[in-house]
Amino acid sequence: MILVATWEWIGSNPANPVTQVLPPPSRFLPVLFESDFKIGLGSQSASIHQSIFVTLLRVFSGMTIAFVGSLLCGMLISLSKWSELFILPILGLIAPIAPIAWVPLALVVFGISNMTAIFIVFMGVFFTLTIATVAEIKRIPENLLITAENLGGHKLNRWWMVTLPSILPGVFTLLRLNFVAVWMAVLAAEMTGLRDGLGAVVMTGRNLFNSDLILLGICIIGITGFAVDRLLLLIQQTFFWWRV
Amino acid sequence: MYQSASTILSCQSLHKSFSGTRRSATSVLTDVNLDINQGCFVTILGQSGGGKSTLLKLMGGFLAPSSGVVLFHGQALRGITPEIGMVFQDQNLYPWMNVEQNIGFGFRVKGDKPSSYRHLVKDSIDRVGLSHACKLYPHQLSGGMKQRVAIARSLVVRPDVLLLDEPFSALDVQLRRRLQDFLREIWQETSTTMVLVTHNVEEAILLGQKLIVVGERPGRIIEEISSSEPEFRDRYHPKFLELQRYLESVLERNSMRSDNK
Repeated sequence: MILVATWEWIGSNPANPVTQVLPPPSRFLPVLFESDFKIGLGSQSASIHQSIFVTLLRVFSGMTIAFVGSLLCGMLISLSKWSELFILPILGLIAPIAPIAWVPLALVVFGISNMTAIFIVFMGVFFTLTIATVAEIKRIPENLLITAENLGGHKLNRWWMVTLPSILPGVFTLLRLNFVAVWMAVLAAEMTGLRDGLGAVVMTGRNLFNSDLILLGICIIGITGFAVDRLLLLIQQTFFWWRV
Repeated sequence: MYQSASTILSCQSLHKSFSGTRRSATSVLTDVNLDINQGCFVTILGQSGGGKSTLLKLMGGFLAPSSGVVLFHGQALRGITPEIGMVFQDQNLYPWMNVEQNIGFGFRVKGDKPSSYRHLVKDSIDRVGLSHACKLYPHQLSGGMKQRVAIARSLVVRPDVLLLDEPFSALDVQLRRRLQDFLREIWQETSTTMVLVTHNVEEAILLGQKLIVVGERPGRIIEEISSSEPEFRDRYHPKFLELQRYLESVLERNSMRSDNK
């Protein structure tokens, strides 16, 4: 609140050069209502909620595929010493590559489509999450697994009923922490190649030299990112609350 | 080797050593011979680090002996089996399951249908006196309640033998005494063969029909005493106190001998 008030106070002076680059909320928020919640020109215009939906869909699709994939991959690695020996170093090699670095390659392979953004999100999460899954599996107290074996559980049932629930909270926490990185990556992808989504809103503002629109886009990106992070935290606290 | 008809578990010339650094091996148990009869309550007494828990793990198939053999129903034991249950000191309850789910876990992990075991789980919850807490999760339970859940979870699948590795050592005196009585009642009701490891002399006498004293490293059986008479169920009976003093002196002598080595 204090930040917004200070911002408004500085921006209240039209002679201030900062106001031209950083217009206060009282100037850029009305843009939303004046444009009937639509951004863009002609047939390429899209409503704000459509842009938010498209970006979220890309992020959640990529994250879900990466989450399930990393659990399966982590399981395979943990079941075989050979795969740990061969696959883990490859994952360690690819994991440090920033998701944004995959954009040119994704554009070549998938073209300008949703798949490009989903692929970038996937690449940004999958490798780190798989390494974390393997680490979480190794962290499980041995006696939890021994108890399940002692009670007569088969190997697959033990994985499904003990190993998986043991690692889920830790892996989901990491997924949440990775969200910020993939959120930034997908927006960058939308700015560089894709025609819709929240990143494209900011790019439209740039192309029209409209700083009000740029600031509006940035604010929506920030608020949506914060809301999704809170949502993920809520999911974590509701469904994955335990610690082994 | 001869085994009586009622012997359920038999340790024969057991030796266990763990390999250390630079090709050295630490001998933990040596030449252990022990027969456990069906339905008997055996307590294994010894000081911490003396190899009692290793002996228990060998008896349950959780560890393989370096030499010797463990016979279960006359057959060499090869690995973990549901017929020999185990209760650990740190209960190992699954934190994402409530009391009811933890106790029924042995059936679920085998893929049994809920209708086939629901009544057994309910009976088991009633028996351990946790009907009021069946929907609570482990973090909502006291130490004593957790231990009762762990015992119920092992017993509900009806093992032939239940091994208990210092299950009450982390509990305060009052709770420990309540759970000792509880365990004794459960044993009398179910007639399951039980083997309890403890370093508490009073607990060993009170619960055991047969007392095994394990000497310090390398662990070996130094005393085998029958304590099935009713006098040993009363903590304040002169015979109980006499045996307690005797066992304490045995443990002390053994400890001094191993310190002088």
